[in-house]
Amino acid sequence: MALQRDVIAPKDPAVDMSPNLNLPLSPAIRAGEFIFVSGMVAINATGERMHGTVATETRQILAAMAQVLESAGSSLAKAVKVNVLIYSMLEYNNMNEVYREFFPVDPPARTVCGAKLCGGSKVEIECVALA
Amino acid sequence: MTGQLSRTVIEPTNPRLNVSRNANLPHSPGIRVGEYIFLSGMGPVDPATGGRNLGPIADQIRQTLRNMEHMLASAGSGLDRIVKINIVLADIQHYDVRRELFLVDPPARTTCALQLSNGNGVEIECIALSL
Repeated sequence: MALQRDVIAPKDPAVDMSPNLNLPLSPAIRAGEFIFVSGMVAINATGERMHGTVATETRQILAAMAQVLESAGSSLAKAVKVNVLIYSMLEYNNMNEVYREFFPVDPPARTVCGAKLCGGSKVEIECVALA
Repeated sequence: MTGQLSRTVIEPTNPRLNVSRNANLPHSPGIRVGEYIFLSGMGPVDPATGGRNLGPIADQIRQTLRNMEHMLASAGSGLDRIVKINIVLADIQHYDVRRELFLVDPPARTTCALQLSNGNGVEIECIALSL
């Protein structure tokens, strides 16, 4: 049985960073019962990178990720695995305090690492969710 | 096709290895969906004390994989059911293939170096088949 592969188009085009930043990626791909969401950085209403604190960038990303998932009939509550990259692990707790607001019950499995991110972003988050 | 898979939280049988619960972190140790298990990034936690075992890197890797074995066994799976494993080192010079636990048909793997939390020299996550 061949699984179908569909590109997820966010209802709010402003959260789709791929055309705005001219990147060769889709915001998310649905494959069978899974949705794979690309790494998302904080962007503003016009699709440009938003530079803020780790807390404000985390909040903006997770709100946008919720929109992407909801556009595909899913939600943050159906996230299975989340990967968080932050520019410095010294900011781990600042990210966590915002992150926990978005996942109050049975949060997804997660890995957090510090990494060099592009474009001056402080946070990048990707996930796998159930469709 | 959608909405048929259930999403359940996986916890280790040994409560000292339940890092996220013990430290009140906003992630689950693992999530099972359908036939897959997604584990959070795991570090070298001592199963007897719950403290960190930050000794030689080879010991840290061995400890982390033993903990992963326990976590998967707690969910009825095992190291030989891992499909994809990601190994994150704090120092890429410690790139070291631990063959002893993956003698036959090892999983797909990615290894890289990133900043880690809690002084860990290694952090390992995986996707495994559940049964």
